[in-house]
Amino acid sequence: MRGQPIWPRIAPGFVRAMLAGHSALGLAFAALIWLVCFTGSVCVFTQEFARWEQPVAPLSAAVTPEAANTAFQEGMKRMPWAHDAYIGLPTQAMPRLSIRASTHEPSEREGDWVADANGHLLQPTQDRWSDFQARLHYELHLPRPWGGYLIGLIGVALLSSIISGVLSHPRAFKDAFSLRMGGAKRLQEADLHNRLGLWGLPFYLVVSLTGAFLGLTTLIVGVLALAVFKGDVKQAYALFLGPTPIDNPAAAPPPDLTRMFAYVKADAPRAEVRYIMVEHPFETGGRFSFNASTPGKISRGETYVFAADGTSAGVLGYEKGTLGQKILSGVAPIHFGWFGGPVVKFIYAILGMGLASITSSGVAIWMARRRDKGKPAETWERLWAAFVWSQPLAYAVTASAVLLTPPDSADDLLLSVWGGVTLASMLLPIVMRPKLISVTLRSLGGGLLLGLVGVHVWRFGIVPVDPVALIVDLCLVLIAVSMVLSVVWRPHVKPHR
Amino acid sequence: MTPVDLFHGLTAEALALAGALALRRAWIKPDGLRPWLIAGGWLLWLVAVLFGQGVWGSVLGIAIVVSLICMTGALVVLSNVERRNVKTRMPREAALEPSDRKRVMWRGWLRGVLAGPLAGMAALGVGLAIAICSPGPPQTRMVIGGLLVPFLWAGGMAWTLSDNKIIRATCVLVGVAAVSLGAAFLKGSIA
Repeated sequence: MRGQPIWPRIAPGFVRAMLAGHSALGLAFAALIWLVCFTGSVCVFTQEFARWEQPVAPLSAAVTPEAANTAFQEGMKRMPWAHDAYIGLPTQAMPRLSIRASTHEPSEREGDWVADANGHLLQPTQDRWSDFQARLHYELHLPRPWGGYLIGLIGVALLSSIISGVLSHPRAFKDAFSLRMGGAKRLQEADLHNRLGLWGLPFYLVVSLTGAFLGLTTLIVGVLALAVFKGDVKQAYALFLGPTPIDNPAAAPPPDLTRMFAYVKADAPRAEVRYIMVEHPFETGGRFSFNASTPGKISRGETYVFAADGTSAGVLGYEKGTLGQKILSGVAPIHFGWFGGPVVKFIYAILGMGLASITSSGVAIWMARRRDKGKPAETWERLWAAFVWSQPLAYAVTASAVLLTPPDSADDLLLSVWGGVTLASMLLPIVMRPKLISVTLRSLGGGLLLGLVGVHVWRFGIVPVDPVALIVDLCLVLIAVSMVLSVVWRPHVKPHR
Repeated sequence: MTPVDLFHGLTAEALALAGALALRRAWIKPDGLRPWLIAGGWLLWLVAVLFGQGVWGSVLGIAIVVSLICMTGALVVLSNVERRNVKTRMPREAALEPSDRKRVMWRGWLRGVLAGPLAGMAALGVGLAIAICSPGPPQTRMVIGGLLVPFLWAGGMAWTLSDNKIIRATCVLVGVAAVSLGAAFLKGSIA
């Protein structure tokens, strides 16, 4: 671009130092950042995948308080060991009535049912795949809280890369519209890296900051508790947990929820109750938290707390409380794109994959620079190609495994399948060059995605009860075809003026 | 999605696209129209944000429209890919290289410790100090202090990995961590 620059000139020494830091950090965390971006882009559609996985479950646009109460009472009869329960009410993204219960330690015993619009429990919930991919993004399937810490650290590294990336590219805004392909590999990748990085900048900043915050929350609260509450983290969390009814372990039948519904409706007529958390449903001191979200707000929704006798204990303050509570309530929806319907979800997925591409092109720039200097990092080129393209394949195989195995298969089956496919792909560098690895894994990934759609249609039909399943299938076909076409097709680009 | 939602979405997208195209036109051709196109492009984006706020609410509107602008801008760039002329190298393509530091093992480890645990402790200290010592409701202080932690840690990480004067970075981070954590633990009360 011609004309006088409007940006202040930055000293070349500073830019070179920033580039060194940016490069070192990006390379150190490249694989983890790529994995988190890829899994995050898929995770945006967790609810749609849950519907795709069980497309024969009945849909309910809305249910009456009586129906929700029926689901609760039936659930407690089927699961009398319940220590906690979660009743999911139909929303636009997940139009189902469901109830989940668990013992004090969730891994000991869990039950999860889908109900019809009248609240009668019909079939167990099938959400192994959507749960697997979400946990891969939240905590990489590592033990708690370490998985969360690692995800938080990756978020910090990503945020740091963004900061150093902005500071080390003083021409980024000047070259905002320039994208040229061809010629030297390094220049081509640098153009793509810088352009995608610039246009997604607000999104990348917000997503990495909120992701790091969500991952590090336990650590931050732990240190705060150490400083203020002599290490008692419960006291720190109590500031956000809201009112708690007086504890009373005396046995009591599960209460009628309709009175609590009426209270919420009277207090917030526009709000939509999205879920109910029940703690100690069979005790006189039970706690019933109704989450009600008001349209037009980025919020997890206000939470109304009730005692077992139906009296209100107050609200948590997510929509009516302090600024801090409102911000906290908006962090997760902003991070996952769960605030503006399907269009925002698609934008998040596209920009999320854009961030994964930026990571990948960053590594490609480093590799091309090594080649230009006559010191090619061939092993790393092979490993990187294998790792990046292993993930669509691993996801396709894992999702197929869910459809082809019984619902009560071992919990760690999916992790083994995902890990096995990833590791097997990482062995390809022994016998293949980067280009062939990329072509092989893209073709296999695309082919298996098509196979996955075939298995899904074979099991549930083309148009099952839930139409979202058809949309997901069509999107998967589109992605599969794009992956296969990317192997054989080279786009035509305009010559530079 | 109702037809009204669709209309609102398409209007916001049209404004975002018009803004991006105006800015691109200004970028391609630096003629007399250029300042007007730059101002017009930004104005269109501002109108898109205000429109979004009016339709979807103040915070939600900004989030939706900014997401739209990001994606639209990226798509405008991607749809105008050019083939690089390898014979005429643009001046901007003589890009700067990262500074070539000598590889010294202890410096590498120290840099890692600075960017990781030490920058993390300093950031945690500042976040805690704000949560404990600043005025306002405790929940607000905790959330703002908590949100600052990853941001400051990331900033510290970027700085320590880039700064060639590694001892300076060590001194600053140790000092910040000591002062902020000291202040937080000394006060020792969130009320």
